[in-house]
Amino acid sequence: MDSGESSEESPVQTKKGKSKTPRKPKTSVLKQKSPAEFFAENKNIAGFDNPGKSLYTTVRELVENALDSAESIAELPFVEVTIEEINRSKFNSMIGLIDRERIDEALYGDFETAKAREKRLAKEARFQEAQAKNAALGKKVKEPTAKAIKGRGEASFYRVTCKDNGRGMPHDDIPNMFGRVLSGTKYGLKQTRGKFGLGAKMALIWSKMSTGLPIEISSSMKSQNYTSFCRLDIDIHRNIPHIHLHEKRDDKEKWHGAEIQVVIEGNWTTYRSKILHYMRQMAVITPYAQFMFRFVSETSDKNVSIRFARRTDVMPAVPLETKYHPSAVDLLLIKRLIGETSKPHLLQFLQHEFVNIGKSHAERLIGEMGADFSSKTPVKSLTSQQIVRIHQLFRQAKFDDPSGDCLSPAGEYNLRLGIIKELNPDMVATYTASAQVFEGHPFIVEAGVSLGGKDVKQGLNIFRFANRIPLLFEQGADVVTRTAMKRINWNSYKINQTQDKIGVFVSIVSTKIPFKGTGKEYIGDDISEIASAVKTSIKQCCTQLKSKIVKKIQAREQQERKRNLTRYIGDATGAIYGILKEASQLHANKKKRLEITDEDAELLQKVSSRLITKEILSEKLAQHVEQVDYEMAMEYATQSGVREEPRENVYLQSLEPQKNYMDFHTPIFVFRLFQ
Amino acid sequence: MADKRKRRRADSDSDDESARLPFKNRLKSDAAILSILKTLTEATKSASTSKTLTLSDLNLSSTCREVTDLALSSVQTEIQTLAISLAKSILAGNGFSFSVPSRAATNQLYVPELDRIVLKDKSSIRPYASVSTVRKTTITTRILSLIHQLSLKNIHVTKRDLFYTDVKLFQDQTQSDAVLDDVSCILGCTRSSLNVVAAEKGVVVGRLIFSDNGDMIDCTKMGIGGKAIPPNIDRVGDMQSDALFILLVEKDAAYMRLAEDRFYNRFPCIIVTAKGQPDVATRLFLRKMKMELKLPVLALVDSDPYGLKILSVYGCGSKNMSYDSANLTTPDIKWLGIRPSDLDKYKIPEQCRLAMTEQDIKTGKDLLEEDFVKKNPGWVEELNLMVKTKQKAEIQALSTFGFQYLSEVYLPLKLQQQDWL
Repeated sequence: MDSGESSEESPVQTKKGKSKTPRKPKTSVLKQKSPAEFFAENKNIAGFDNPGKSLYTTVRELVENALDSAESIAELPFVEVTIEEINRSKFNSMIGLIDRERIDEALYGDFETAKAREKRLAKEARFQEAQAKNAALGKKVKEPTAKAIKGRGEASFYRVTCKDNGRGMPHDDIPNMFGRVLSGTKYGLKQTRGKFGLGAKMALIWSKMSTGLPIEISSSMKSQNYTSFCRLDIDIHRNIPHIHLHEKRDDKEKWHGAEIQVVIEGNWTTYRSKILHYMRQMAVITPYAQFMFRFVSETSDKNVSIRFARRTDVMPAVPLETKYHPSAVDLLLIKRLIGETSKPHLLQFLQHEFVNIGKSHAERLIGEMGADFSSKTPVKSLTSQQIVRIHQLFRQAKFDDPSGDCLSPAGEYNLRLGIIKELNPDMVATYTASAQVFEGHPFIVEAGVSLGGKDVKQGLNIFRFANRIPLLFEQGADVVTRTAMKRINWNSYKINQTQDKIGVFVSIVSTKIPFKGTGKEYIGDDISEIASAVKTSIKQCCTQLKSKIVKKIQAREQQERKRNLTRYIGDATGAIYGILKEASQLHANKKKRLEITDEDAELLQKVSSRLITKEILSEKLAQHVEQVDYEMAMEYATQSGVREEPRENVYLQSLEPQKNYMDFHTPIFVFRLFQ
Repeated sequence: MADKRKRRRADSDSDDESARLPFKNRLKSDAAILSILKTLTEATKSASTSKTLTLSDLNLSSTCREVTDLALSSVQTEIQTLAISLAKSILAGNGFSFSVPSRAATNQLYVPELDRIVLKDKSSIRPYASVSTVRKTTITTRILSLIHQLSLKNIHVTKRDLFYTDVKLFQDQTQSDAVLDDVSCILGCTRSSLNVVAAEKGVVVGRLIFSDNGDMIDCTKMGIGGKAIPPNIDRVGDMQSDALFILLVEKDAAYMRLAEDRFYNRFPCIIVTAKGQPDVATRLFLRKMKMELKLPVLALVDSDPYGLKILSVYGCGSKNMSYDSANLTTPDIKWLGIRPSDLDKYKIPEQCRLAMTEQDIKTGKDLLEEDFVKKNPGWVEELNLMVKTKQKAEIQALSTFGFQYLSEVYLPLKLQQQDWL
């Protein structure tokens, strides 16, 4: 009812009373948005919420691509990640901008007004006064906390480089692999780390949005005798690559793999720990990979350089691409499969495009579909109604569960090694559950529980992995966290939930991980199949641990038995002697003579004549304790025998082949001396 | 519209009295109720002349264990003999150990003829030279020597005092308390004979006169709070009363209401409460009153499983102290209220009833398995009703009809209708 003001401008709208905008809106034009544009605008979907998270996600996406690439050619991965801090002047010179001095200081956000300056000086003076006082009193002088005043506009820039020894990329495909959002090689139905082909492209979009600098890619494949080099950015509006340079260079080192370099805005200070956690957890779940992580900045004390060494050369098998399970498809998917299939007839289509449908089963299904279906019905001629019928039958009919063969879990061996390598715990137990099914997608849960270790805080430390990538955010709602916190009775496994350093590792692999939320950061607690599988796996680990803990407690009891038994000797004999002494005094008093046997009277006599003292009682009791302790130790030894811990293979990293060595042979072993 | 409102107000005016205090109109005169009570008292007096049964009457003394009141000197001798035997065992190089009667639930037996729980004869050996029992054994010797000193000096101390003599060894009071009961069992005497008492907890008010350590106490002249029940029963004596019954109250709040309203003057009675689970002193006191005055005992407890449990502790004894159940239990306690069936009978509004928790229901079902509940079909019926409706109510629920509803309507009506089980 704001007709008064805006009537002359937009009379149509005032009648509806819809808008208060005084200006007439543009007539809505039908516009199309490219996928790249969509993701640029909704970058939080892909984990680029803010500069800090963007830096984290960039590292993460590049590392995961590198691992996938190396694993796809069954090469033990070697991944080098370098984050280089770039200050403003260096950044400006990179983009060819001349550093300009500030002329109008008051224009800037970090300009200190006279009032603020006064305040600051007063505060500094107070601080110095306190310092002087403390120094006079001989107290420890606090370092003045120099807070760097950082304005809003002071962005930090980082050059992120990730180099791997993977497959590399075909020379001609490189532009499309980076410069086109939603194009990828991971679209089939199989267990993959990434899913949508977004990662590296989002990093590129982010770099374009924050720095405007292009991405640089070097790549070489095994069969190539050259290195492809490509510098490109992305045309966001058209979702196509914009190539700056694309050339072949000499491959001097016989290297294969990819090296990707991108300059982005980020925030190392706030996301430092997240990035380091990510690298550490990645090292846990992929102990067969070697990671080299470096952070380089101008001030050398902030530099970080961590090497996560390879601990095994056993790699999980490459996950196989599988066919869809009938209960996991929807109408669209059936239509797509029909479009893609090479099989002409319905029977073959059912038999070959889905798992768990055999020939006889397919025939029975077709019989059930109705009169207008037959084995020979050409698939491509199926009407929409007929497809709906097939879909309905898929929903209702019973099918065997898909097998977990197509999955590639980390494996108990690797998980265990990873935990031992990175946490160095006192005890660890692992368990792999058999494959189970959720909505037609098989999944496997693996769990590990560790106790003690370095850099582990007291209480529950939860490490979550989905398709062998660590999940770091949104821990609270996750199925693993909920299960470990609420549904496991740690006490019954002799584990103290608040005191002990418990590490809980759960890795879930599946052809489709049912992530909750947009960020692919957690798995919901509402899927009972997964929740119960997680619970059983953790419990299995705990059961394994319990026997170890009990043994440990027994061993400790063995050691402490004598001390515990000896500790109370004084108290016990003191009490007994006290009674005896009082009794003997009574006894000595003829009037109150006790009615006791002569033998007992004699004992009291000895007490009063100090032939029996507290010390004698203590000594005798100590002798008895000694004897009992000895007997029990013998019993323990005969019961437990000489137990050996199960042996584990030690992985020794192989050295570069060297020719200069000498062998010393003995009947049992060969001793090889390298020169 | 106005007309309607007026009529409604008129309606509410007319049944105002009965709405505030429902069932008040059903009450007969106090004299009528008193005569009903008198017949009850007479019946109780004549019934309780018959001799109470003991374990030996039932030929159970061989398989069951019971303790007796021992004189101080015999406690002293018992301890000395025990100490001498321990010393001999140590000197012989065998260490030492106690044989402690087990007070576990499996070693308890409900004897229907006696209507109480007794302890069976299972014992466990408590050796010094074992990691699991070394602490308890040491505490036992320490408690023994402390009791020995008490018996020498002939003084009383509280459980708390006992604990504070060696806090370092006992660590917390539950440990020394548990061992104290063990020592009673080992020596075969009641806890009172050990000269160890608990702090005062129970209170009594009403038509009772007794002597406490020689001083005559008139419980009608103790104010509203009443007289604290003395922790050691041996100094209580010379009980006199003109009461018609004893009213056992679970809660302090209900006790206060009855005391303040001088309920015992309207209907001559003695009102007792232990403020929740009864302590030893209150149980001993109640038993003494019942035995000497031969009055009927009526219980007013919450309508929940714990109310019934408290009732059963007064009646049949607790499992923890079953070795002394002969001295601690009061036979023939009647469950007056508040019973699950009262909730509907007295139209207690829905908002004053509470839903039972899982734990409550489980406790209720467990109680149904207990022999002392099973022997009384009326109780079983009430408990079944409680578990079925899954509702409980406290005595205070009656306050919805006014704070004095309990003393002015509910109790008199209950007495008039002889509505006890």
